[in-house]
Amino acid sequence: MTDIDPRLQEALDGERDPATLPVGLREAYVRLVAATELLREPPAVSVADRVMAEIRSDAATSPTAPAGAARRLTQWFTRPRAVTLRLRPAWTLALAAALAALLLLPGGQAAVPGAEEGIAQFVGHFPGARSVEVVGSFNDWRRGALPLNDEDHDGIWHGAVVLPTGQHEYMFVVDGERWVADPLAGRYVDDGFGAGRQNALLIVRP
Amino acid sequence: MRLVLAFVLVASALAAQSAPPPPPSPHGRLEGRVPAAALPVIDSLVAQAVAESLPTEPLVQKALEGGAKGIPVDRLVNGVRRGLVQLRDARAIVTRATPTRAAVDGDVAAVAAALARGLDPRLVERLMAATPAEPPGPVLHAAADLVAHGFPADSAADLLRTAQQEGLRGTRLLDVAVAASHELQREGGRTPMEALARVRAMLPNVPVAPPPHPRAVTRRAGPGS
Amino acid sequence: MRDAPSDALVVAQVLGGDKEAFGIIIRRYEPGLLRFATRMLGSPDAAADAVAESLVRAYRHLAQCRDLEHLKSWLYRITGNRCRSHLGRRHSGDVPLDDAPSIADPVDTWAVLERSEQVALVERALAGLPEEKREAFVLKHVEGMSYEEMSAVTGARIPTLKMRVHRAREALLAALKELV
Repeated sequence: MTDIDPRLQEALDGERDPATLPVGLREAYVRLVAATELLREPPAVSVADRVMAEIRSDAATSPTAPAGAARRLTQWFTRPRAVTLRLRPAWTLALAAALAALLLLPGGQAAVPGAEEGIAQFVGHFPGARSVEVVGSFNDWRRGALPLNDEDHDGIWHGAVVLPTGQHEYMFVVDGERWVADPLAGRYVDDGFGAGRQNALLIVRP
Repeated sequence: MRLVLAFVLVASALAAQSAPPPPPSPHGRLEGRVPAAALPVIDSLVAQAVAESLPTEPLVQKALEGGAKGIPVDRLVNGVRRGLVQLRDARAIVTRATPTRAAVDGDVAAVAAALARGLDPRLVERLMAATPAEPPGPVLHAAADLVAHGFPADSAADLLRTAQQEGLRGTRLLDVAVAASHELQREGGRTPMEALARVRAMLPNVPVAPPPHPRAVTRRAGPGS
Repeated sequence: MRDAPSDALVVAQVLGGDKEAFGIIIRRYEPGLLRFATRMLGSPDAAADAVAESLVRAYRHLAQCRDLEHLKSWLYRITGNRCRSHLGRRHSGDVPLDDAPSIADPVDTWAVLERSEQVALVERALAGLPEEKREAFVLKHVEGMSYEEMSAVTGARIPTLKMRVHRAREALLAALKELV
């Protein structure tokens, strides 16, 4: 491949009038321009129908965002990473809660994982703590979604929840303000925010 | 009886509602959850991921995490940016390791997670290339577990490869890592190589991690605030 | 005659819930994206797949394209990356070359055949270029982009893009010496 004359490059870049090119270069200019014209043939196909069909289907994610409290409620019911209940139709929640009230079960029915879900147990020793909650990728790092319980007031806080199988990052939040990586997690990953803090890593198995 | 009928009616009414709306966009999930000053840059980073056919969920999760933790704007943005770089690196690894199939979002995210756990990129590529048809998450996490417990990376990879050849797949590979960790902690002490040799001798019959008892699950996560 | 709605207005309509308005974006940019993808992949069918995937992805993440002045660049960038993914899965030298689209000219059969041969020759020459140079040439000369727009699409610096375009021209001229 040989370098072509810079004057030809300038003409093709629109920086020089091609009429000022010597004959040989002008022929090369015309040849290349003609070739690019051939490449500008309009396409014979259209994908418009195919794209619009997919957009109209339920599978396509809406680019819009519902607002405020309605959004939060919708997210809690439908968020792919929310725990357990969003995987079931909303009406079963009302029915299950109502049946529980009717039958006077103390804490509601035990959750049973689906095929692509597993049970995650959380245990932490925080004597003297007033509250301990789990905040992580499975609840969009949302506070208040997964509180742990210490019925015996012995400082052992625990809880279990059904989660989608796979990897989840999380931390405990103690007394609403102290973020603690689960000491019993066994797996950790740097949180990437530059202060050396680590998230606990949970792998939920089916 | 009347109460039961009432519940049936209520349930029917709820069931008659329209199907739940599709999940909100990344921008919608971030609004109000991350500092307003960070939102344009994060949107731009997510747009770059979209343009480069990279998964966006890891970036959205990182932004939500930073917002929840109260991370200052510049560090929050850098955290998301770092995540984008990891996804690019991950996709390059996936493409090299599995050249004959498209790099799916799940594989890219799993490799990015392995890189975030400090696994050497060459090891990641080697593990993926050994079983290109398998989802990479389990073997990569098993390798990261072994390395985190002090086992040499190459020896860890060899053990996992042997386990795969013995028919172990998916989360059973995590059991291999657990078994190696237990051997290391046995009374009397074992060197890492001794521990690996003992686990190799057990294959494919490494103990299965016991599942949590379902009756222990009595609490459900409450709705988001 | 009413001016066509701007990209910003159409995107606002889509984000406001009017899915059908995305059809305006498709009609506006589909021809260029298909032409670009066809030149990158050498196959109208593969190009259709790549462009359809890209447009659906763009729809799903439309809220992320805050810089609506450069919606076009963003769409081309997504499509370029899709094309690179497709190309990455092919073995080298395995770029399909479909027949050139027929050009209806019932009056002059000879001219049609000659033109088809010319198109095929140009397409073969283009397909022989390395991916980055081919992309740069197509964006510059087929899609008529400025170097600034090309930089937004590819992420490459302008001097780098100029070098790629210059090298692509040299290679094409060498290959096209057979053209009369």
